[in-house]
Amino acid sequence: MTFRLAVLLAVAILAMLGGLLVGGTSLPAPQLFAALTHPFGTGDAATIVWQLRLPRVLIGALVGTSLSIAGALLQGMLRNPIVDPFLTGVSAGSAVAIVIAIVAGIALPAIPAIGFASGIATALVVAALARRGSGIDATRLILAGVSLSSLFSAIIALVLTRLQSTDAAPAIIGWLAGTLAGRGWSDLAFALPYALAGVALATITVPALNALRLGDVRAASVGVDVARAQWLILCSASLLTASAVTLSGTVGFVGLIVPHIARRFVGSDMRYALAASAFIGAALTVCADALCRSIAPPTEIPIGVLLAFIGVPAFLYLYLRSHRRAAA
Amino acid sequence: MISVCDLTLRAGSRTLLRDASLEIRSGEFVAVLGPNGVGKTTLLRSLAGVRAPDAGKILLNGRAVGTLSAAQRARQIAHIAADELFLDQLVVRDVVAMGRYPHHRWWQWQEERRDDTAIAHALHAVHMESFAGRPFDTLSSGERQRIWIAMALAQEAPLLLLDEPTSHLDVRVAHEILQLLRAQVHAGKTVVCVLHDLNEAAEFADRLLLLGCAEVLAFAPPDTVLDPRVLERAYGIPMEVMQSPSGVLRVFPAAASLERL
Repeated sequence: MTFRLAVLLAVAILAMLGGLLVGGTSLPAPQLFAALTHPFGTGDAATIVWQLRLPRVLIGALVGTSLSIAGALLQGMLRNPIVDPFLTGVSAGSAVAIVIAIVAGIALPAIPAIGFASGIATALVVAALARRGSGIDATRLILAGVSLSSLFSAIIALVLTRLQSTDAAPAIIGWLAGTLAGRGWSDLAFALPYALAGVALATITVPALNALRLGDVRAASVGVDVARAQWLILCSASLLTASAVTLSGTVGFVGLIVPHIARRFVGSDMRYALAASAFIGAALTVCADALCRSIAPPTEIPIGVLLAFIGVPAFLYLYLRSHRRAAA
Repeated sequence: MISVCDLTLRAGSRTLLRDASLEIRSGEFVAVLGPNGVGKTTLLRSLAGVRAPDAGKILLNGRAVGTLSAAQRARQIAHIAADELFLDQLVVRDVVAMGRYPHHRWWQWQEERRDDTAIAHALHAVHMESFAGRPFDTLSSGERQRIWIAMALAQEAPLLLLDEPTSHLDVRVAHEILQLLRAQVHAGKTVVCVLHDLNEAAEFADRLLLLGCAEVLAFAPPDTVLDPRVLERAYGIPMEVMQSPSGVLRVFPAAASLERL
């Protein structure tokens, strides 16, 4: 299992190195790595690598990792394979605040913070609605998350139809479609601490998540404090999702499919599945972002759109095939 | 081991049990009996500490069960609920290994040697060593029940609570499961087990706890509880009790009551 994880980590690192090579200006590998090893070097190569490509690749990796871990956590907690991290309403909550902030003309640097705060606030509301006794009810969580998300989508649609000035539209569409364009070190520095806190919380819940595979009742009978585990998992998933959404807008699909791919490689034991999800998520997102930049330069395809176009058919194919095989 | 004082249990507006007091001694095999819906499972869940009593107290070795943390409780009480489905494809050994959860610190991810020993012992006790590597979902109901018992044994808790471990099992497999539990009592565990089959209870349990009409109708050895009048009060139909050639009591609904149907 350690070997498989090592392979997945290597794939993630290779994907990130590959991501550095892709861009509008062609930069041969030797020149690129020379620039990479001299962080304070001068010249075009150093600027391109250190100011443009490296932060972007790292942001892609962070977004992919965060969404994938959050998806794995929620799928594990709810024992439901079709759950994705946006279920908790975090992304819709962020998006609605960001859209309103853009329309209201609030300065761009403040927008990630607004999106993050609103995402977390939404997660708290959803969690409060999903409460039953001291724990969380799976059905209520899904109902609350889905209904709040549709409410926020409706608000966004309303704002968009009322939009007078057209200058704000591209920025808003960027957030809604999911993109890594125009992000830099400062965005990364803002989101990273929250994502790390989310990862730390996730690791604490690993033994409980493993026991939860047997169902809430049996997990409780072997000594899992189910309510406490649910709150920790929800906190962790919300922090991770909010950090990702703050960086990239709504990049769907990664949080849904990557945990499935990870389980195919390493099984459902969360000790391995979480790490595998992180590595695969990073690799997938960085590769997809590289594609977005190189398909039709100098314009970019939103990464959320690209992932949906490639990912949905691939996912359906894999999922239906495995079910047919199981049925046969 | 367990003292129940003035326990009241309700389900919605219905009172399942009112002011019941009883004492379960260490090292005995108690069968909980009674008609459907009388509150057997609810009582078991209260004893397990996963459902708070509506009134009264449940003390485990002098301490209220509700005040124990989840892990403390799981080191004292292994509760095997009625079967529950789950999605993941787990291997038998992984399922049994879950029983080690309450013995781990929160930061401990890997098994230690004593976990290994406990898991091996548990699989041995239920005669399932050769199944360790099999996917759990390929097992028969009887084999699954054995694995749930193994998981409970891996918990190394002195008290085992089981909810209908023999339902849906054929006669022979049910017998084997009860023999396993009897062997655990012999090895020093206390077993409290919800059963439907009065004959199984008569054969294997030391004392029978018969529930009915929101009270404990009887809590005594089989030959006292398996009295036609007591049983008729609990189940509402006339019963016949006879002794088998091997000396075990056998209970049947009286022939007249069947004709009435």
